[in-house]
Amino acid sequence: MKKQNSLGSRLLMGLVFAFLYAPILLLIVFSFNAGESNTVWHGFSLHWYKELFQNRIIMESVYTTLLVSVLSTAIATVIGTFAAIGLYSLRRRLRSPLLTINNIPMMNADIVTGVSLCLFFAAFFQGWRAFARWFNGVQDVLELPARMTLGFVTLLIAHLVFNIPYVILNVAPKLRQMDKNLVDAAQDLGCTWMQAFWKVILPEIKPGIVSGALIAFTMSIDDFVISYFTAGSSTSTLAMTIYGMTKRRITPEINAISTLLFVVVLVLLVVNNVREARLERQAQRRAAPSAARPLSFPAKPTKSHRNFKRFGALAVAAALLVCLVVLGGQTRSQRVVNVCSWGEYIDPELIDIFEERTGIRVNYQTAESNEAMYSLLMSGGGDYDVITPSDYMIAQLIEEDMLAELNYDSIPNFELIGQQFQNLPYDPENKYTVPYAWGTVGIIYDRNKLSAEPDSWSALYDDANAGNVLLINNSRDAYGIALKYLGYSVNTTDETEIRKAHALVADAMDRGVFQGKVMDEVFQKMEGGNAAIATYYAGDYLSMAENQADYVDLGFAVPKEGSNWFVDAMCILKDSPNTDEAHEWINFMASTEASLRNMDYIWYASPNVKALEGYPAYYEQEYGEALDPEVYEIMAAPQEVLDRCEMYVSLPPETRTLYKDLWITLGI
Amino acid sequence: MKNKLSGFAVPYVVWMALVVVIPILIMAVYSVTTADFDLTGENFTRMGDYVSVFARSFNLAIIATVVCLFIGYPMAYVMAKEGPGFQRVAMALIMLPMWMNFLLRTYSWMSILENNGLLNQFFDAIHLFDLINHIFGTNIEYFQMIGTSGAVVLGMVYNYLPFMILPIYSVIVKLDHSLLEAARDLGSNNVTVFRRVILPLSLPGVLSGVTMVFVPSVSTFAISRLLGGGTHMMLGDLIEQQFLGGAYDPHLGAAIAMVMMVIVVVCMVVMNHFGEGEEQAVML
Repeated sequence: MKKQNSLGSRLLMGLVFAFLYAPILLLIVFSFNAGESNTVWHGFSLHWYKELFQNRIIMESVYTTLLVSVLSTAIATVIGTFAAIGLYSLRRRLRSPLLTINNIPMMNADIVTGVSLCLFFAAFFQGWRAFARWFNGVQDVLELPARMTLGFVTLLIAHLVFNIPYVILNVAPKLRQMDKNLVDAAQDLGCTWMQAFWKVILPEIKPGIVSGALIAFTMSIDDFVISYFTAGSSTSTLAMTIYGMTKRRITPEINAISTLLFVVVLVLLVVNNVREARLERQAQRRAAPSAARPLSFPAKPTKSHRNFKRFGALAVAAALLVCLVVLGGQTRSQRVVNVCSWGEYIDPELIDIFEERTGIRVNYQTAESNEAMYSLLMSGGGDYDVITPSDYMIAQLIEEDMLAELNYDSIPNFELIGQQFQNLPYDPENKYTVPYAWGTVGIIYDRNKLSAEPDSWSALYDDANAGNVLLINNSRDAYGIALKYLGYSVNTTDETEIRKAHALVADAMDRGVFQGKVMDEVFQKMEGGNAAIATYYAGDYLSMAENQADYVDLGFAVPKEGSNWFVDAMCILKDSPNTDEAHEWINFMASTEASLRNMDYIWYASPNVKALEGYPAYYEQEYGEALDPEVYEIMAAPQEVLDRCEMYVSLPPETRTLYKDLWITLGI
Repeated sequence: MKNKLSGFAVPYVVWMALVVVIPILIMAVYSVTTADFDLTGENFTRMGDYVSVFARSFNLAIIATVVCLFIGYPMAYVMAKEGPGFQRVAMALIMLPMWMNFLLRTYSWMSILENNGLLNQFFDAIHLFDLINHIFGTNIEYFQMIGTSGAVVLGMVYNYLPFMILPIYSVIVKLDHSLLEAARDLGSNNVTVFRRVILPLSLPGVLSGVTMVFVPSVSTFAISRLLGGGTHMMLGDLIEQQFLGGAYDPHLGAAIAMVMMVIVVVCMVVMNHFGEGEEQAVML
């Protein structure tokens, strides 16, 4: 083709590259921001890089990402190469359908592959549970664990599922090009077929193997959807961590890790390109000058065979090393406890203190809402020992026989829990739970965006605030609020009342009142002044008020129509393999010391009487100033507010289905 | 020798049966059963409630694909005309963002498009809002960008544009020059050469680009969640909701996933009909 480009086409290219790189550049620039904002520049600092290396969650997810990518690439390359050779020595009639099946994971939408694997693993776990129970019943030499959950192994299998086809697809064309007689000739000359494989086939298909491996690695590192459905809660790749963070507060460490990733990739590419350009020039000098071939990304078969062997040996060595590290990591017989709670719902230092004191490692995981946690448990993804659901969900879990009865002898701190928080309707005999925190649901608003302070839920559905209201993203709270506004009970099972509540919300949605449906995204939105009104929990309002931007002035109200008051309590799941550690954790969290610290961090009221009453004194001692009584009132709502509020009870299954069906039609 | 080598295929065939075929069969079983595993067609009839989700998914995915095509084709075309050194760098620059996880890139857009985000700050700084308010007598302080379907389309275009450029580029760059010369010798001008020779010959690349943008766009859930604010539910969100979200119902989710698989298969059949599908897929 003619090698001339007008200014116009150069401009087009410039614009496309600007479009591709502007967001990345922003990430990089703001990784050096001294402030926490992603939009306002506060001066240069390397603070977030330091924080990054201390952030256990991010560092662990980076490690998981690299580990699963390297392992799956190494394994997929070996299996894929042999499989390709095998497939290509089959007859065509047999080969074609097999290759079609091979293409399925590559061609299918990621979400379909992810979902089908998720169902497959769930089915396998169920089968395993039945088998393990039977097996443990008939003999007692060997005790098989009854519970299996999604984790690193399933994640690795899932990555192999989509990586192997890419390797095969890259190796196959090279096999097709190869002269079949070569192998026969080698064997005629006295090679064993093993020698023929190493000396004839492998060098021929080497470029295909290398590019297959590279593509497999790229796909692994870029994957989010399939990992999301197969990694479960305890294992998290970097992408999953980021996705989890976008639901809460994204810390600027993410900018720092993006920058580092970008720089590493950039350096690799530059090195590779410079080397290739040099090799190409050499080749050109040697051969007669011909039209330069455009490069195919990223490797070219110009290396010598010896180089390849060295590369192969290195790859194998690296893979072995990684295997050893993994095995080493897994055989470490450390005691662990897997805890699941909400975002921003614990002082992270408490985890460190607990780990230091007991030597038990805490895998702290977060779920978005009660409903999401329930889904995760049902689909075999919830690798939890201790969970902290809310009242109505606890009742449902007890009903479905998913919780273990607690041994209160090993939780002496249960004594410290206030009487009014014991034997609540969700657990009348208090056999399963130790309360963790309590509070109310209310309106959070930005005074700078509203003319008057709202005291009624009507503000949520008001056209005056169109586009500025955040709807809470779980059916129980969203409909509960609407029911309250309409003057019904939050626990009504009357279908017409629930449908009326739904109609109220849906109508406001259609009129464009809501900016979005949010759970923990609400922190960022309200703190940054991106919305005027939200409904959320009292404790979280206080953390938002603490972190609000200069131009934001947040307020909180429990509307006159009344609201919901809730208790979140710690429980242990049935089949939990770490019951002793779980009890220790619960006892620790119920202690007055931990409760005070936690109250100070999460701003939710503790059910521990001494902590609840002693908090103002604690605050004064910590900060040298008295606690604003208004803040304390929002935190621990006084009786006259609680009198307006209702607690959720577990709804019958028909009502739950109705909630679910109505909820999913919102926003479609 | 043949028989010995074909033995290598056996473990992989077993593997495929186990982790590719069986999971899809399980999904199929889920899609036609109730929670107690009684046979039912209800999961598919219930999908009638979600017609608008299907419509929105297709709508946004088609818009994103068309936008990608209109940006990606000229881009690939002008890239292929450059010198080899330039092409090498351009290719690398297009691939580079793909090595960073796509969630990182989407997240970056969030801070750009927020009501208080960088773009609105920029408009404010150049007094665009004052100007508009002055002319139209309105009282706007920002453009609502996040949480709109436009933002979702933008996210798709941004993330999947390389999938459009690369296959088209790889086809155009391999075009046989003698064909173009022959066309010119026979009296075609540049426009005719493009219309009668280059365009038809690059069609396989276009088709694989379209499939590679359309399939992930129609099934995405992270982009619509992050940039659409959760109010623009798409098929992917609907499926995710049934498995790991707030409305646990794997049977309905499996049924929707089955429908999506059929959509993908139809896309593939159309693409393979025009040939050369396999080779292009190798590119990525």
